Amino acid sequence: MSTSVDPVVVEIIRNALTSAADDMNASLIRSAYTPIIYEGGDCVVALLDDQHHVLGQSAGLPIFLGNLEMCTLATEETFGRDVWQPGDVWILNDSYIGGTHLNDVTIFGPVFVEESLVGFTASRAHWIDVGSKDPGGPMDSTSIFQEGLRLGPQKLVEGGQPVRAIIDTISRNVRFPYPTTGDMHAMIACIEMGQVRLAEIVRRFGLETLRAARDEIFAQTERFEREVVAGIPDGLYEAEGVLDNDGLALDEPIPVKLKITIAGDSIDFDVRESADQAHGPVNCGVAQAVSACRVGYKLLVSPDVPGNGGSFRPMTTQVREGSVFGAVAPAACQWYFSHLGLLIDLVAKAMAPAMPGAVAAASHGDSMLVQVAGHDSRVGRDYVSLEATLGGWGAWDGSDGESALINNVNGSLKDLPIEVFETRYPFRISDYRLRPDSAGDGRWRGGVGVVREYTVLEDCTVSLWFERSRTKPWGIFGGGEGVGPRVVINPGREDEREVLKSNGTPLRAGDVIRCETSGGGGFGDPRERDRAAVESDVLTGLVSPERAAAVYGR
Amino acid sequence: MSRYRVSMDIGGTFTDVISYDEDTGEYRAGKSSTTPTDLTSGVFAALDSLVDDTRDISFLVHGTTQGLNALLTRRGERVLVLATEGASHQLHIARGPRWRLYDLHYRKPEPLAPLQDILAVAGRFSSEGAELTPLDEDAVRAAAARGRAEGITAYAVCFLFSFRAPEHELRAEQILREELGDDVTISLSHRAAKEWREYERSSSAVVEAYTGPVVRRYLTKLERSLTERRLPVPLHVMQSSGGILTAESARRRPLQTLLSGPVGGAMGGAALAASLGRPNLICVDMGGTSFDVSLIVDGEPDVSPETTLEGLPMLMPVVNIHTVGAGGGSVAHLESGGLRVGPRSAGANPGPACYGRGGTEPTVTDANLVLGRVDPSWFAGGQMHLDVEAARTAVATVAEPLGLGVEAMAEGICDVANAKMAQAIRTITVARGIEPRAFSLVAFGGAGPMHAVFLAQELGIREVVVPRFPGAFSAWGMLQTSIRHDESDPYYFRDEDVDTADMTARLRRMGASAAEFIRSEGVSEERGRTTFSVDVRYVAQEYTLTVPLLGADEPLEPDFLTSLSARFGEQHKARFGHANDGAPIEVVALRATGLGDLMRAAPGAFSPGPTATEAPVADVWFAGAPTPTTLHRRSDLGLEPFTSPTVVVEETATTVVPPGYTVTVDERGTLVITAEEPA
Repeated sequence: MSTSVDPVVVEIIRNALTSAADDMNASLIRSAYTPIIYEGGDCVVALLDDQHHVLGQSAGLPIFLGNLEMCTLATEETFGRDVWQPGDVWILNDSYIGGTHLNDVTIFGPVFVEESLVGFTASRAHWIDVGSKDPGGPMDSTSIFQEGLRLGPQKLVEGGQPVRAIIDTISRNVRFPYPTTGDMHAMIACIEMGQVRLAEIVRRFGLETLRAARDEIFAQTERFEREVVAGIPDGLYEAEGVLDNDGLALDEPIPVKLKITIAGDSIDFDVRESADQAHGPVNCGVAQAVSACRVGYKLLVSPDVPGNGGSFRPMTTQVREGSVFGAVAPAACQWYFSHLGLLIDLVAKAMAPAMPGAVAAASHGDSMLVQVAGHDSRVGRDYVSLEATLGGWGAWDGSDGESALINNVNGSLKDLPIEVFETRYPFRISDYRLRPDSAGDGRWRGGVGVVREYTVLEDCTVSLWFERSRTKPWGIFGGGEGVGPRVVINPGREDEREVLKSNGTPLRAGDVIRCETSGGGGFGDPRERDRAAVESDVLTGLVSPERAAAVYGR
Repeated sequence: MSRYRVSMDIGGTFTDVISYDEDTGEYRAGKSSTTPTDLTSGVFAALDSLVDDTRDISFLVHGTTQGLNALLTRRGERVLVLATEGASHQLHIARGPRWRLYDLHYRKPEPLAPLQDILAVAGRFSSEGAELTPLDEDAVRAAAARGRAEGITAYAVCFLFSFRAPEHELRAEQILREELGDDVTISLSHRAAKEWREYERSSSAVVEAYTGPVVRRYLTKLERSLTERRLPVPLHVMQSSGGILTAESARRRPLQTLLSGPVGGAMGGAALAASLGRPNLICVDMGGTSFDVSLIVDGEPDVSPETTLEGLPMLMPVVNIHTVGAGGGSVAHLESGGLRVGPRSAGANPGPACYGRGGTEPTVTDANLVLGRVDPSWFAGGQMHLDVEAARTAVATVAEPLGLGVEAMAEGICDVANAKMAQAIRTITVARGIEPRAFSLVAFGGAGPMHAVFLAQELGIREVVVPRFPGAFSAWGMLQTSIRHDESDPYYFRDEDVDTADMTARLRRMGASAAEFIRSEGVSEERGRTTFSVDVRYVAQEYTLTVPLLGADEPLEPDFLTSLSARFGEQHKARFGHANDGAPIEVVALRATGLGDLMRAAPGAFSPGPTATEAPVADVWFAGAPTPTTLHRRSDLGLEPFTSPTVVVEETATTVVPPGYTVTVDERGTLVITAEEPA
């Protein structure tokens, strides 16, 4: 810990590091080839010091929070510290190291100034295809070997020269080599920009000053977070829920159990009692379980503080190898995010008794995916469309939850406008509205979900991934739970049927898919709800008069 | 005789006015306090400070913040929205993104119309424009009846696919007029924004209905007063697009005036780029509580076809202005033992401690004052006296816990603020694929020139330009623009499906309509011109780039699509760093822009002052030490270059130049500050 460094210099360096990460992210988004990166923001970048601590980072999705250092660490553990050489760039995507699915590729490299290793820069982004058994990524994989090319740490650039053999191997293994290698070069350019920025900072301030400033910056962040944690009453806090299933064995729920222990200014997350790793693809590596706990922690402890090596120091995480959170080979990991979304929500549930003002009731909880594929005879071409569906978020002390929002792991993703969807694909979106009576009741009610109904105009197939029908969005402090998701094929017809997950189900022209997402959970006793708010909900139609009478005694 | 061209920019605190004398080529600046309760009295006070007789005015343009203020303060008109049955919740679903990643208590921007003021009306077209369900006219009449009963005077009609098939919206307007007469405002979504994407288009129409009546009332009142004073020419209004239009047209299309104030600065930047012969400029506009950045690239302002304000999207051409910080009001404070500057701002009230309005926290303005970089008796042209002791006391509250002297702390606050502002600029340029070192920095607004040289240092920029009247630069910029009218038409085809003859026929129709508009604004045919462009993207992209065409007939040329694809590729490479050569493209929209040249006369030379050899010297704090620094009145500066350190004061701004620079006044009176050593 140093106090000798000028506090002004510390603050300038702190901002310079955060800004360098922002520049790296802007550069990556600017030069990426595929929309999932430059529009979906499915990427993250970081600058690390030579001890693999985060100096600055910038993310498009919260779920990527703070595990790029696992990649540089794993590389160093495998090959030794001397493996870092100037002008080298590395790549890896192994789920059991990086924690997510194989589509999330991490590219990183050491930073040298005058021949000494001063740190690393790293980027991770979603590649549209890595050669899995189905284009993009399978919905029903049972082994990592069905999910595509799996790379341990590999040199992509050596001494400033691209390693053509590995780039050629990657090109042969992916379905869309042109945009994929384009994204790869964008990531290389991004980490090279980070290398230049970090080297500039080292040269401007000197390595000793940078290190002293780093210690002070980390200390400030740690002090800030410990103060918040110390303000939470000591104790054991628990919450649990289940995923509906692993997508294959539809009747077998997957339990997720979380124990949080607060002792003084330390906090421990324990997910060891969660389910064994699943046969289906709802598994993730340890790194990603840590990330999800960090997201839950950050939501409550330090939402507005930029992350760095001082972040999360009060925090420890216990994960069991062989569980859904500590997947070991050859567990399938393609759908690594559904149980992570649940885990993030459970953090707020567990901590509700201790932090009633900071938490919220549960949200609809998952991406609620609708994928349709077929042939559009209007233009004579095949199409595939993949959409996430919005849902309601939970209420909190002082406010109703927000209606029709994207789920927590999808960041700032937007829905597709009806006018765009119908122009691009042979469907009619015959209904797209807020879903009445879908929210959990309460003194503050949850936000409502949506109804999105597709009328099929040409024969097609549909795949669905709707979750959280067993562990519905819970209420807190007496609030009610959301009603859960519901998907009906051909509502009101003789062949009407309900389904939440499906893979490639054929549909005929004239068929209807009606998707209804859950509202969020409520907060507090519904009988304490303000009369005017109840009246207003009836007036707007978000709550039916019957429900208002039954629940709120209108 | 009419000889003055006059522009007015109404800000939150001051109304700035600039006059240009067509006989002498002379520019003059004036200002008055903005009078919020009756803006016209402030407008006339400002006008009177420069022009004795309204009849001498040959041209008058004006940037209004009326619509914007109504939106920001949520004091617009209550709007009844008519929306397509089955899609009537668009404004509340709002496409569902969460812009703050770590927020359990996230709220969307509050829609302007609550759910109970949105009525579903049956009637539906397909994406090809075929009517699937006829309009439910009874539902429209019922909406009118409800509006009448509740005294609602603004209506927005937002039907699906109206950009392709406007018939239902037009019929609804007819019915509403029959039922409600001519005194109500009716905004049709296809007229407010003829673009696809129902949420964004509906939002545009609702914003127009919400703010339009306020803008109309204001313009009508101002025009009436001007007519009473026998103004011989029509009043013009600045548009968000950087062009202008007559007040009469602005009343019909009030949405276009929403961002009319700050855009003047960017247009001034474009004019400066031409007159200085420097096509690439970073323009920073720093006021007491704001810090805005705009870019001029290849001589052109950076215009986007859409924007968001207060989280609400609007589809209309706007000059991109990036708001990145809090300006001189940013508060320095301690957090977990470390120094922070901003993002919190002291605002205008209580404002910096030195304003003496009860502020006790140190701000960037206080720090500048402590360092001697602001003349306490000459702030805002002497209209405000600053309290140095209050500033020192405030700065000491953070200096002491950190063990620093007051001056060192004050310089540290400025250094941190400058570094943060420079980093924000750098991120904007990186996202555009621009290297800031190749740009000049233009500084305006009251506080811009005080920080500009320090920002340039951080960015490796060698040249800083401070135009004349930096505090009134937005008003000056309004005199440098043309009449502008934009037409757009959604036109969605993949390259291989485009019918080029049809495309040309549509472009010609749009061009004729734009040209007719320019003529109707009183611009003769030979001074009008029309430009054409198409929005293009790679298949599956969401964002488009606007590619200029050689003319409406260009699609008829052989190999047009190959050429279009190549040009799009080049633009894509410049903007995003790469092109996907050979990948299929799709056309998304056609655009035509009518421009009417207002025949600006070249400005005559400004009259330089005596070369200031006897400038007073005072100690100003630079790089940790008091440094003898010359103090100049800008009006006293001659054409002779001189070296820094120096502080140049004038009515509307203060320019601070640390050691190591040469300061030159060019023949137009522009201050050009150049690094002596390569940066």
